[in-house]
Amino acid sequence: MPWFEHGDLKLEVDEDGFIQDPSVWNEDVAKALATTEDVNDMTEDHWKLVNYLRNYYLEFGIAPMIRKLCKETGYPLKKIYELFPSGPAKGACKVAGLPKPTGCV
Amino acid sequence: MSNKNIKVKDLGKKTDRVYNLDVKELPKLPYPYEDWEDPEVPPVKDIKAEGKDLSLDGILNVVVPIPESEEKKEELVAKFLEGVRKLLTVENNWTFLKPFMLSMENCVKCNTCSEACPVYEMSGGAEIYRPLFRSDVLRRIIKKYISPGGKLTAPFTGSNIDLNWETVARLAQLAYRCNLCRRCAQTCPMGVDNGLIAREIRKLFSQEMGIAPAELHTDGTIKQLTTGSSTGVSPVALMDLFEFMEEDITDRTGLNIKVPFDKSGADILLIHNAGEFLSWPENIEAFAIIFELAGVSWTLSSEMVGYDSVNYGLFYDDAQYAKVTLKHAEVAKKLGVKKVVMGECGHAHKAVMAIGDRIWLGESNIPRESCLATLEDLVMNEKIMVDPERNDFPITLHDPCNVVRSMGVVEPQRRILRKIAPKFREMTPHGVHNYCCGGGSGFAIMQSNNFPNWRFLLPGRKKFIQILNAFEKEEYEPGVNKYVCAPCSNCKGQIRDLLEYYDAWEKAGLLYGGLVELIVNCMTDVREGFVEWEFH
Repeated sequence: MPWFEHGDLKLEVDEDGFIQDPSVWNEDVAKALATTEDVNDMTEDHWKLVNYLRNYYLEFGIAPMIRKLCKETGYPLKKIYELFPSGPAKGACKVAGLPKPTGCV
Repeated sequence: MSNKNIKVKDLGKKTDRVYNLDVKELPKLPYPYEDWEDPEVPPVKDIKAEGKDLSLDGILNVVVPIPESEEKKEELVAKFLEGVRKLLTVENNWTFLKPFMLSMENCVKCNTCSEACPVYEMSGGAEIYRPLFRSDVLRRIIKKYISPGGKLTAPFTGSNIDLNWETVARLAQLAYRCNLCRRCAQTCPMGVDNGLIAREIRKLFSQEMGIAPAELHTDGTIKQLTTGSSTGVSPVALMDLFEFMEEDITDRTGLNIKVPFDKSGADILLIHNAGEFLSWPENIEAFAIIFELAGVSWTLSSEMVGYDSVNYGLFYDDAQYAKVTLKHAEVAKKLGVKKVVMGECGHAHKAVMAIGDRIWLGESNIPRESCLATLEDLVMNEKIMVDPERNDFPITLHDPCNVVRSMGVVEPQRRILRKIAPKFREMTPHGVHNYCCGGGSGFAIMQSNNFPNWRFLLPGRKKFIQILNAFEKEEYEPGVNKYVCAPCSNCKGQIRDLLEYYDAWEKAGLLYGGLVELIVNCMTDVREGFVEWEFH
């Protein structure tokens, strides 16, 4: 497995850059992972998305459906793509420390 | 040195790369994409390539680790050969021995199959992608290394090949360059099924050598059997998803619908592909709206595996296939339903309805039906009322290979569309002669490394050409929304990715979705506007 290094952080990631152990996640990890997604400044909007994803994942073990994410955060999909250019599943979920989505999604 | 014209006997030769796909050799796209230029296929990054064999075509989906020593290589070759022997005996291959043997023995090398194969055609005739190339590799190995006296006679029987690590590693990858669409089998005058051979090679690698794509195995069947779904949706998460979907139905339509779960003795147990829950909830919601308004007695299951029709074992492994389908049968039997209806998922149709015949036996032999037939009854016999004018936009239909070519379910979806879609456009060819979406056999869910480029450029390109050609030139004028109807989750995922790759929503007004969404979109008891013209 590859490693992702950023400053003092050294994290095991999968081949698409998702962290392998979701329990090591914290805000510094999120900021570091965000740099791999061309997000150098985590604004309040970014955190709102990331925190929602994170909390949903901790409760249910999966990422929420995108429609729910949009409804609950009040951000249309277009805005989510503006915040995380590679999208909710590949971008925002990665920064929130979720594993890569699996199955026919 | 890349070699487009490599011969089967040379597959095991030491080389860094047998063949490199060249985007300049791809066929041109039709209107409005004549000027489209594809970017080069990106090489697999060093850090990801480390320790993995990429010597076939530099494309990475199934990971074949390079053994550390020559001894290890020899061990693995021996293990492979042992696996080939197992494929040839009824004790070890009771599932597919007969069609496999017929396919191995009856090829007359007429190459009719090659013309039918979208991968071979789009590659401009790269030998390694010829359907009978990989079959012939295996055929020669059997003749030379397993048939008595094979090594002596090999030079005279046309079965020359070197069985070394390179041959084995490349054969594993070759098995994952076939989308198992079986157009080749359909056209073969001898009845040879090169798709089945590719699938049996995958099986050998998975069952005997532990080599299978993570998307199908660890993140697929294993995850499904341990968490309840290949998506990781547990029974608890399932309830949260449905709570949201019920609210969403109300928001979209004004209807209050309670989705029934675990209703013993219902007429129908409906099983969806769980990918729909997360990516296309409108499909699940549409089924619920149709069934409820038509007064159908139906239920979903909330039991582990019972709410996810996925069975990736169909694509690569008999043991994994059996574990999943047994679980599906158990859930259906326990609920005591009259029949099981498969939602819009092609491979699940085949897993439960066709191959399942070998396993759903005795008390588990519960009737199983395609949702397309169920829906046909509801729409054509007016158990729901429709106003086709609401679907007054150009629509084309994709035929999922497993449902249409493999199982012959051709007309139900067409009768529905002829009734509800005044601008229904057939693709050419269609029905059992359709082309795969390019994501068949699990390809659509392989999202890592450079494999997506491969599936867009070769099998997917053929589909994209078909989609583009399905509509009239004037229908590409700005503002004309068009709908590609693909009643299969896997096909939908591939078509979504294809349209995204070609920026086809913005550039050509092409959106995609399932069949039930179109039905609900024109139901007179439902508020207008169920289909939202938004790409997702």
